[in-house]
This record gives sequence, structure tokens and C-alpha cells, in this order.
Amino acid sequence: MAQALGEDLVQPSELQDDSSSLGSDSELSGPGPYRQADRYGFIGGSSAEPGPGHPPADLIRQREMKWVEMTSHWEKTMSRRYKKVKMQCRKGIPSALRARCWPLLCGAHVCQKNSPGTYQELAEAPGDPQWMETIGRDLHRQFPLHEMFVSPQGHGQQGLLQVLKAYTLYRPEQGYCQAQGPVAAVLLMHLPPEEAFWCLVQICEVYLPGYYGPHMEAVRLDAEVFMALLRRLLPHVHKHLQQVGVGPLLYLPEWFLCLFARSLPFPTVLRVWDAFLSEGAKVLFRVGLTLVRLALGTAEQRGACPGLLETLGALRAIPPAQLQEEAFMSQVHSVVLSERDLQREIKAQLAQLPDSAPGPPPRPQVRLAGAQAIFEAQQLAGVRRGAKPEVPRIVVQPPEEPRPPRRKPQTRGKTFHGLLTRARGPPIEGPPRPQRGSTSFLDTRF
Amino acid sequence: MGNGTEEDYNFVFKVVLIGESGVGKTNLLSRFTRNEFSHDSRTTIGVEFSTRTVMLGTAAVKAQIWDTAGLERYRAITSAYYRGAVGALLVFDLTKHQTYAVVERWLKELYDHAEATIVVMLVGNKSDLSQAREVPTEEARMFAENNGLLFLETSALDSTNVELAFETVLKEIFAKVSKQRQNSIRTNAITLGSAQPGQEPGPGEKRACCISL
Repeated sequence: MAQALGEDLVQPSELQDDSSSLGSDSELSGPGPYRQADRYGFIGGSSAEPGPGHPPADLIRQREMKWVEMTSHWEKTMSRRYKKVKMQCRKGIPSALRARCWPLLCGAHVCQKNSPGTYQELAEAPGDPQWMETIGRDLHRQFPLHEMFVSPQGHGQQGLLQVLKAYTLYRPEQGYCQAQGPVAAVLLMHLPPEEAFWCLVQICEVYLPGYYGPHMEAVRLDAEVFMALLRRLLPHVHKHLQQVGVGPLLYLPEWFLCLFARSLPFPTVLRVWDAFLSEGAKVLFRVGLTLVRLALGTAEQRGACPGLLETLGALRAIPPAQLQEEAFMSQVHSVVLSERDLQREIKAQLAQLPDSAPGPPPRPQVRLAGAQAIFEAQQLAGVRRGAKPEVPRIVVQPPEEPRPPRRKPQTRGKTFHGLLTRARGPPIEGPPRPQRGSTSFLDTRF
Repeated sequence: MGNGTEEDYNFVFKVVLIGESGVGKTNLLSRFTRNEFSHDSRTTIGVEFSTRTVMLGTAAVKAQIWDTAGLERYRAITSAYYRGAVGALLVFDLTKHQTYAVVERWLKELYDHAEATIVVMLVGNKSDLSQAREVPTEEARMFAENNGLLFLETSALDSTNVELAFETVLKEIFAKVSKQRQNSIRTNAITLGSAQPGQEPGPGEKRACCISL
């Protein structure tokens, strides 16, 4: 029942340029058949059909078989063929296998193995009343348009409650951060609660320490790092943002804290997570830089944003067509930002932080840069605990059994041809791509 | 001496919504700027904003309303949020006394980061749930009076007093701005505020008024 407007509070018809940043899942994923859930579970979402550029079914089948092979000897794969894992993650994990691959990539399966009864204890223990109230208030506000989270009694909201509660008990000094909601929700869309819990632990403690705690100090540091990278890689955009007064804290926190789960079309979110779990925080910076470039990269775009509000609006209003997974991820992986670049910039920004005195938050902790670093750390921890590593570190290779000769796959810049020994039918010819002479995988400068 | 053309100027007033998580800030924002309410709006994680242009007398005023996360830990990253704000709605949930009990802390937070002359209204939201009330109207009204705050009870759900709340704050800001401009004309001094982002309209539009209260 709308309140009648006071006579001097009338909306003028000629001033219609009001903008809003309020978004929703369906705005990003598009309108669809009324009340019908799309293939990801979003009611009214538009991801019914795979979008343009989505790989054909047989390519997906081949990738699935590759992943099944890699994951059935995971330690061996990670010890010797991480590069292949990394490349496959960049190409996108097939939907059917995310549930299997994500916990392996982030090391959650090892955590679970090392602490077999822990989650059960946490799930059964009563939660801290203060956190329980806050968590409870938020349960229906994570992905409200997703069928799994629609009902308060459904396994979505209940799973969220369990996982978030368990974390506050597991790390009481960290407590609950609202951004953990969307992160846990995406995990729960793929995994049962216990596995989702350990993945959340890894994200909060190992991939992004200092993000979800009481001071969020790493978010502040990363905001400075992001600006410094912008200055180096997109100087005109950086200048514009300075001029209109848009600091990174006005847009970066939601991106990074939620791992873009609220900012990109859902299929693209999943692709970002594939790469993030494989390569670490560097991916967040690459995605952020790509988004900023898409929104403000041209002089026209900047000219259309004379002020702060328009600029912020542009960052939030990138047309979904430009955010479709294949084209978008290709640009993300082309960003000229290596792990070393990132570490150097982090060090530089840390050095500029004011000296800590009693009161101000602790210094951000070192984070592990992805699946390989996690794997090595867990192996080392296993050795220190006295457990035998699953794969011997020094191996004398027995002579190989005779196998059909197999060309080392020339995968750089090419789509798959039928390389798997179990491939059925003739090799699949993908569209030919230009050979790349450079050493890095897709290194287009901005 | 009043000049006729001054009244044609556009204004941009930045107003921030503050208060505990879950009190209804986001729905007050959507109710005022888009006449929408949702039981399932998402938790606010970053910074949200929305605008609505209204007429105050003959002046067109663009209200730039900002909204952010209420949870305590977010205060570490939201100090930039207050910059340039000339008005604030400090919202509590009148069915949850705890959200009212922390109002003083929020006031302190506000005055730590915003101009001392910022116009503040204390808002008791969710008046549609009157049977679950935990904060007596008189108590909140007294607190507001003692602290120089405006006060209203609203319901973003059924729209009660939402327009009035924003309208009152905007009028108060406008009155302050007009008075200051009158004073500066009288003393023949022009006070330029610090560069306020977002205030400059596009080329061709009328210039926005400098806001420094």
C-alpha cells in the first residue's frame, strides 16, 4: 500500500537518470520461464541451454575422462602433472566432476581424512547463541532465488546453518562473516555439508587468510594492491577512478569476499572458482582487472561516467553478454599478472602499511597460492607427522610396460584432438588456432 | 539578496543508511527509490546505492542513498562509505531491543567518519510488527531529542513513513544548505566545499551546488 506522496515530493518526469546498484540473481543470469529453475537451480534463471561458445558434448566427455583419470591417482597427478591440472582448470571442470575435483584441489579431502570425527562433533555441538542469531537471520538471504535455498526447512538453508555454525565453533576467534554465506552456499550446491565445510575452511584459512576474520585486514591490503596493479596495467582507468573518487573499497570487497559469486553469471562464477581453487588469489585479481577494463577501458566509457555514481554504476552494469564464460575466462587468463608480480606488489604495499601499534589489526598472513602449494604443504605436514606419504618422493622408475606410442599432446592454444587411449571414434577436429610463440599461455597485453 | 536563478540549481545530497545487520536498511532503500520490498533481499556485503530525484519547492534534489553491511567487522572496510555524506538514517529494528541498544555506538561511528553537521534521523523500522515491539516509541523519541536527532518509526514492508523519513531528512539538509548560502552571500564570501565526488552533473546539465555544511 503505497504512501501518498506529499505535494512537494513529486517525481519530475524529466529527470529520469536515477541509477541503482541493487542487483539480484535473476538480473545477472537473465529472465527465464516463470517459476522454472534453470540447469543450475536458479528459479527464473536463463541458463537453460549452454551458451554460445560452450564446448560440444563430446569434448566435455573427453575432459570428464581426463579428470576421472587424474583424480583416481591424485597424488601422482599433483606430484608430477600439476601443469596439466592447471590447464584443465582453466578450460573449466565439467559440471559432473566439480563435486569430485573441488575438494581435491583445495586439499579438503586431506583435512577431512586427518580429522575424521571433527565435523560430526561440530555439527552436534550447540552453537554460540550470538552467532546463531546472526547466521539465522541470513539463511534466507543467500541465493534466495535458488531452488535449493528457497525453503527454510530445505537442505540448502539447513546445510548452510550447519556449515556456518560449525565454522564458528571450529574457529571461535574468527566467528562468522556474512560473505561466508554465499561462499558456503555455492559449495553446498555441489557438495555434502562435511565436504563443503572443509572446503570453506581451506578457502578462509589457506587461500584467503585475513579475509573473513574480525578485522578483514587482508581485504584492505588487497584493495591497495589492486589499485597499484591498476595503476600499472590500466593507467587511464586508474586515473579516472582517482579523479571521481572511486576507491577500491567501494567495489572490491563484494567481488573478492564472495569470490564473484554475486557479481557474475553463474556459469562464469563456476569457471572462476575452478581457476581460483587451482591457482589461488591471483585469479581474483585477474578477474577484477578484467571487469574494470570491460567497464571503463575505453575513453568513451570513461567519458560517459563523469562522476562517482556513474563510475560505480558502470562497474556493476557490464552487459552479461560480455561476461559469458568462454570469452570472459579467456580474457581473465590473458591478464599479464604472474604470481611473482602479485607477490612483489603485496610486499610493496605491506611495506607502506603504517607500523602496527597495540590496537590496529594484525598483519595479513601469507597465503598459499593454489592447489599445488596446498598439496606440497599437506605432503610436508604428513611427513612431519610421521605418516608415510602416499607417493614416494624419490622413485626409481621401473621400465614402462609397452604401450602404443603416444605423442606428447601439443595442447598450447589448441582444442583437444582425440588423445585419450579410450577415445571412441575418430579424433575431434577443433577450430584451428594460431600457434603462439610466447612462453606464457595466452599473454595478450591490455 | 535572493537571485531567481539560484532556485533553479540542482542539488545532490548523499545520505547513508547505517545500523545493525537485519534491521531493514536495504528494504528502506528499495522502498524509497524503487517502491519495492522483498522478504528475501540478499545480505548486503559490499556497498549498495540507489538514487531518486525529488522536488523540494522548485529545487530538484537528487537523493543519493547509500547502504552497506551492518555486521560489526565490516566497519573496517566501510569508512570510505561516509565521505561526503550530508544526511544519515540510523536504523534499528523496533522488534529487537539489541539493535536499539547499540545506537550510541553507531552514532559514535558516524561522527568519527562524517561531518559533524550531518543531519541524522533515528529510524525505528518494522512498525508493521507492532505486536512484537521491544522498543517503546517514547524511549526512542526521548533519546533522539536528547541527542539532536530527528525521529520516526517506519515500515519498509507496508511503506509507512518511508517517504516521510527521507523527505524530512532531505528538507532539513536543504534548509541548512540554503541558510549557508544565504549567509555566504551576505558576508560576500564563497565557501567551496572539498571536491564532492558524484556531484558534477554531465556536460550540459546545470551545475550542482557545493555541499559543505
